[in-house]
Amino acid sequence: MATYSNQCAIVGVGENKRSRKSGTTPLHMALTAARNALADAGLEANDLDGIMNYSTGADSCPSHELATFLGCHPKYVKDVSGGGSSTELLIADAVALIEAGMLNTVLIYRSMNGSSGHQVGRGYDPNMLQEMLSGGSFLMPYGTASPTQWFGMFATRHMQQTGITKKHLGHVCISFYEHAQRNPDAFLHGKPLDMETYLATPDISSPFNIHDCCVELDEANAIIVTSAANAKNCKSKPVFIAGMAPRTTHSNTHYWTQVDEVAADYAAAELYRSAGVKPEDIQVAAIYDCFSWVVLRQLESYGFAKRGEVGDFVADGNLKMGGLLPSNTAGGMLSEGYTHGMNNVLELVRQLRHDYKGTDRQVKNCELGIATGWAGPDMAGAMILRN
Amino acid sequence: MTIKTDYEKPIPLKNQDNHPYWDAADQHELKLQKCTACRSFIHPPGPACPSCGSPETEWELLGSNISATVYSYVVSYRPFLPGFQHDLPTIITVASLDAAPEVKLMANIINCDAEDVEIGMPLQMTWVDITEDRALPQWIPAKK
Ligand SMILES: [Zn+2]
Repeated sequence: MATYSNQCAIVGVGENKRSRKSGTTPLHMALTAARNALADAGLEANDLDGIMNYSTGADSCPSHELATFLGCHPKYVKDVSGGGSSTELLIADAVALIEAGMLNTVLIYRSMNGSSGHQVGRGYDPNMLQEMLSGGSFLMPYGTASPTQWFGMFATRHMQQTGITKKHLGHVCISFYEHAQRNPDAFLHGKPLDMETYLATPDISSPFNIHDCCVELDEANAIIVTSAANAKNCKSKPVFIAGMAPRTTHSNTHYWTQVDEVAADYAAAELYRSAGVKPEDIQVAAIYDCFSWVVLRQLESYGFAKRGEVGDFVADGNLKMGGLLPSNTAGGMLSEGYTHGMNNVLELVRQLRHDYKGTDRQVKNCELGIATGWAGPDMAGAMILRN
Repeated sequence: MTIKTDYEKPIPLKNQDNHPYWDAADQHELKLQKCTACRSFIHPPGPACPSCGSPETEWELLGSNISATVYSYVVSYRPFLPGFQHDLPTIITVASLDAAPEVKLMANIINCDAEDVEIGMPLQMTWVDITEDRALPQWIPAKK
């Protein structure tokens, strides 16, 4: 009955060093990430017959260009416009092409100078934004041009209706910042956060202060997907794709007619059905965290806590190591770095391979993990991985 | 010496789909797009009905006495667009129209303290003249 049933696996992950100012181009960073993923898998560039990537506007480099400088000739390249949930979407596309016998091994990457280059939601011409965004002329005249404001609008109502407080948002931040302190590669390594500091930090846009927002950085990530049969020839321990909800859509965010439902509510049912597992089977998580509140809303969508009980779930420390659902264990986008969701997936793969065995970073005995993507309330994608 | 009277904030751009809305706003009136087939309101206006996909739409004039309640809101403490640096904190709301609660209209709540805003708070539409020939719909707290 399961459509994915472990027939493909992630066999390689790699990244380029994250920074505020890379001093180099997305192409250079993507090449480093791709070479690191190939080395992780024990594969050569010529083993790749598909390369895919996503970008927002022109903030990345095309896959064909990456292939050229890896010195390989894949028969299939694809570049999509996307953001959150595009990692899951492209992995699902790769699985479908592999299952159809079209491709064997696909590299998926995201490379962006998200700090020194083109920042998401900043530095646009207001008139251009009015034309570009659906309903843009009903946003810009009111000063509404930032994701903090758009997500805040959904968060305020959800929090009021479910009793979630600012302190609950703080528990999400504090949990992930705590993980970043064990990860020397996290951007906010060495910068722990406590509740007193969190609550004393002024808001940017209510209900969010700086700690509730992801760290925009320069970074590249890469993931290699191949068939379960090919995975046996790889150097790494394969992490199998057990189930997916590639991308589920809901009415456009900027229509505002219904902010109580989000696309993740609909992705969840398909996800669990395709994997044949239940939320309580999941042992480790990568929850899309462009903003702290988004984590709470997805925990509700994906069935980890009942509506109205999500705040208590995080206050009880369940997102931390040793909790019921250790999440974003490298620090997440709130404190490790932000590449539109892909860095969280890299960490999930490493947890499921038990790469951190013998250290305090390893989630004990984890076999099954969830990665959720979120491209605003209107689009969601998710996958379940197992070792 | 000239007095600088330029409006610094973005002015709503009229286009093929939305111009009846903004033309009415300039006259201090609210006009909403409506689907001829399923009778749903369409806001923001578009090339077809998001409820049923019908391309047949018409416009309904709701007049100048528009009341609503706060559906959700944010208080913005940083300017993300030109002009708003003079206007902080900025209260932004999506308000549910009393006459058609499924319609949510975004605007600032003006003449109001940020601490006083809450979901369910009653609002009244007002129009602020931003240039010689353009006006912007805004919300003010309704008198109880
Ligand atoms: Zn209709």
